Amino acid sequence: MKKNLFLILLGILAITLIGCQRGNDQTGGAPRIALVMKTANNPFFIEMQRGAEEKAKKLGVNLIVQAADREVDVEKQMQIVENLIQTKVAALCVTPSGSREIVPAIEKANRASIPVLIIDTRVDAKALSESNGKIATFIGSDNYEGGKLAGEYITKRLGGKGKVAVLEGIPGHETGDSRLRGFRDAIKAAPGIEIVASQTANWERDQGFNVFQNILQSHPDVQAVFACSDLMALGAIEAIAAAKKSGQIIVVGFDASSEAREAVQRGSMDATVAQSPFTMGELAVENAYRLIKGEQIKEEIAVPIELVTKETAGSTQANK
Amino acid sequence: MRPGGIDLRQNFFSHYGRQLSTLAGLLGLSLVLWALTPHFLTVSNLLNVAEQATIIAIVAVGMTFVIITAGIDLSVGSVLAFAGVVMASALHGGLPLPLALMVGLGVGLLCGMVNGLLITVGRLPPFIATLGMMSVARGAALMYTEGRPISGFSENFRSFATGEVLRVPTPVVIMIAVYAIAYFVLRRTKLGRYTYAIGGNEEAALLSGINVKLYKTMVYALAGMLSGLAAILLTARLNSAQPIAGMNYELDAIAATVIGGTSLLGGEGTVVGTLIGALIMAVLRNGLNLLGISSFIQQVVIGSVIIVAVLIDMGLKRRGK
Repeated sequence: MKKNLFLILLGILAITLIGCQRGNDQTGGAPRIALVMKTANNPFFIEMQRGAEEKAKKLGVNLIVQAADREVDVEKQMQIVENLIQTKVAALCVTPSGSREIVPAIEKANRASIPVLIIDTRVDAKALSESNGKIATFIGSDNYEGGKLAGEYITKRLGGKGKVAVLEGIPGHETGDSRLRGFRDAIKAAPGIEIVASQTANWERDQGFNVFQNILQSHPDVQAVFACSDLMALGAIEAIAAAKKSGQIIVVGFDASSEAREAVQRGSMDATVAQSPFTMGELAVENAYRLIKGEQIKEEIAVPIELVTKETAGSTQANK
Repeated sequence: MRPGGIDLRQNFFSHYGRQLSTLAGLLGLSLVLWALTPHFLTVSNLLNVAEQATIIAIVAVGMTFVIITAGIDLSVGSVLAFAGVVMASALHGGLPLPLALMVGLGVGLLCGMVNGLLITVGRLPPFIATLGMMSVARGAALMYTEGRPISGFSENFRSFATGEVLRVPTPVVIMIAVYAIAYFVLRRTKLGRYTYAIGGNEEAALLSGINVKLYKTMVYALAGMLSGLAAILLTARLNSAQPIAGMNYELDAIAATVIGGTSLLGGEGTVVGTLIGALIMAVLRNGLNLLGISSFIQQVVIGSVIIVAVLIDMGLKRRGK
């Protein structure tokens, strides 16, 4: 019967594809914890997933990792959270694709009495309180500390005296703002150092190039630059090279991407601040597990942050 | 009389048979999921799936009309985003709720109308006209908001997503209403009959005195307006209107339409089929999430289902001839 053809083919397709993967549901006693990431195809999140999986194995937790195809797809992420609520997971760890857009999903989890642990990206506090949403904890890098670390490094390298420039992220973006505050506070502690220019390059490499080129025009005597992300720092490095000033200006980035680590090893970048997504993943599963066991966990859990310089590049987390 | 004037009995199986096979596909898929996970076949999950299907399902209604005329509309996702942010800023600007909703629908309608005029008066191929609109509407949404989402709305507005009618989520009720109206329009009105006629043979439609330009433009305007409606629901759902919302929705809507048996060559298709198509997509995504399957495999599965559905459709047609 041709009518049944569709059914049969669909059935075969589903069974063959699911056959190799099944079993997540029927593992019995092990607590089920879900980790919903922004995406599964970005090195940062691949590391996070690995950390979470290793911890889950150690603790005997049944971990489900899901992510939308695209990092900014807030609606897909919401669907994933809704679907996981249906499976009655014991705890939900989420890296929000949108600080505000995640709030309705948190409300839904609250209604189902499933604790929500927010990882990496903060939830908009105002949106959360307006909807009476509750989260169990926030686990993420202390971006403020990272910015401060960068500021202290530059202060030390300049011997407490000099002119620095800053490339900011998109204004109003929580991550970038915190890094900036940390950096500025570190510089404030060193009265000999002056921030001569602080402009946004919108997290982008080509804008990092253009903006820093303009800064070099107006402040040719600038001695160091802190970029709130590696991409912008890499753009600035090219601008420095174009101005034939390579090696004369200290460049510090943020994120410790693999390209930035290479630049640090080559010497074109001086330092970059490293987050530890692997540790983030571990802490997510560990704290979700403790929560299920009825233990108290902290409202905010800072993930250690470190400075990668020529001496340490290549030996840290991301290259594990 | 059947659309296109084909004899009723002869048409029964090629018409309803196609929908029955899609429905069988949906039921078969559900059966597999029911066997694999205890969480699938529960009232709360089925309502959850229906709710997740609504936005694509509503966009796909417009897409079905467009594809029946042998056209395509690539701009639906971008138009959704643009209508969403304009409506959101109207709400934030203090416009009363009903008026703001009209603004959302109106922006969608206007974008759709421009599509229609470019295609009919400007004689552009639908692919090109709507490809252009896809970029223009997206850019307009980004310009309008300077790239930032507009979020935080009144409970009244949010009830479009959070409300319930007799325990059924409001979006699902709205979706059913849209499909009921679309079914009626396609079956019982001039617009519906002309939609089939234009897609079946535009030349013949023109020669038999149908104002092809007018009705085609109306079809694209309708698709735009439905994107506006989807924008209302999406904005209420996320409590936020994003300028980057609705990316790739055109592809999901085309997939739902095609799985539902509408031919890309035009002249045939039903909204009931499209509804089942949209549900199949939602059930697939839901089921794969429930089973904890990686998002990479999910993409492979969904793509395969689209291909298989169209293969079967073509097979059925060849045998039917």
